[in-house]
Amino acid sequence: MSSLSRNHTLKIDPRTELLLLVMANVVAFTQHSVWVEITWVVLLLLLIIVCGCKKAAGKLAVAFGIFLFLQYYVFPNGPKMIASSFTIIVSYARKIFPCLIVGTLILQKTPVREFMVSLRKCHIPQGLIIPLSVTIRYFPALKEEVGYIRDAMKLRDIHGAEKIECLLVPIMISAATTAEELSAAAVTRGIENPAQKTSMIDMKFGVQDFVCLALGAVFCVISIAVG
Amino acid sequence: MSDVSMDKKLKGKDLITIGIFSAIYFVINFIFMLMGGIHPVLWMLMPGFIAVFAGIPFMLMVAKVQKPGAVFLMGLITALIYFATGQFTLVILVAMASTCILSEIVRGITKYNSFKGNSIAYVIYSLGMVGSPLPIWLFKKDFLAQIAEQGMPLDYVSAVEALSSNAMLIVLIVAPIIGGIIGAFIAKGLFQKHFVKAGIV
Repeated sequence: MSSLSRNHTLKIDPRTELLLLVMANVVAFTQHSVWVEITWVVLLLLLIIVCGCKKAAGKLAVAFGIFLFLQYYVFPNGPKMIASSFTIIVSYARKIFPCLIVGTLILQKTPVREFMVSLRKCHIPQGLIIPLSVTIRYFPALKEEVGYIRDAMKLRDIHGAEKIECLLVPIMISAATTAEELSAAAVTRGIENPAQKTSMIDMKFGVQDFVCLALGAVFCVISIAVG
Repeated sequence: MSDVSMDKKLKGKDLITIGIFSAIYFVINFIFMLMGGIHPVLWMLMPGFIAVFAGIPFMLMVAKVQKPGAVFLMGLITALIYFATGQFTLVILVAMASTCILSEIVRGITKYNSFKGNSIAYVIYSLGMVGSPLPIWLFKKDFLAQIAEQGMPLDYVSAVEALSSNAMLIVLIVAPIIGGIIGAFIAKGLFQKHFVKAGIV
């Protein structure tokens, strides 16, 4: 796959994204300087803009601005009640902001299929990859299911605590049935075949991946050194 | 499920079952996680709330897949999704992985099919979610330093300190234990009322 796809956006290897996430974590836990933090956030925002998440980047940038504004202007001057209940959440959100940015990139630009191939390339055992992909793909089915059950509950006029039971029990029963059916289908298609799986997706590290990782590493070093 | 005891290795079917119940567990977990965003105290009680309601998918999965590794995979998947979407730090991966290993040991000792053993495994498993608000305590020094830097009044500093005090840490850890026990019994009740009749377990 070429580094520039049709719509001129940069494509980053899912493995790079995961490594960036780990680095973002390292930086979050070690850095204590606002300037290191802001540069790191700006760089990551630029990265996801280049990758094509312009809208999300805009939203995240605004959110980060609001956090800074809250922490430096509203909390010191506003009513104490607000400040003391929200400080922890705002500070925490600011701390993990770089992780959120990389997470957004993964969510928006990485198809599940590519993600799974990259996990396989990292030699993650099949025993984890299979349930993980089932989990991610079951979310939409679950949403649909809940919609139907809600409709049915409205018809029968069910209220209060009974609602939880009436929601959970059908979900569980249908999940158990789906598990049976899906396994039968998957076993027929050779999910238990021990041979090495092949894939249509060709995954390689490009220049952009090395640049990202190098920059990430530099930030890790800076934030550990500067403290 | 007569062939369960013969083969302890996870097969395709087991893996898919784990995947599906992990999805349900994750959704329940996520709903409470969103509520935790409202106020820090809710966030700290959140592992307890999750434990009350998420017992059903956990207990059902444990009943269906009576093999080592099922709980470990469920925990790992939950933590991985949270981690990969950038909502949580590495702390949750570490916390989840360690409680899941303990939980697996309990299941192994109790031979995978006793209600008591599975409940204890569930309580331990629920403790893993403590890894979500735990950074509050890990970042505490930073928080307080920053607040002091801004020249905040003393009662404000003490309010933040009270939220991240050792007493709250105990609340954080006790909540999922109590919640886990309640959750296990709710699951047991529903098992007898519905799932056994429906022939699912």
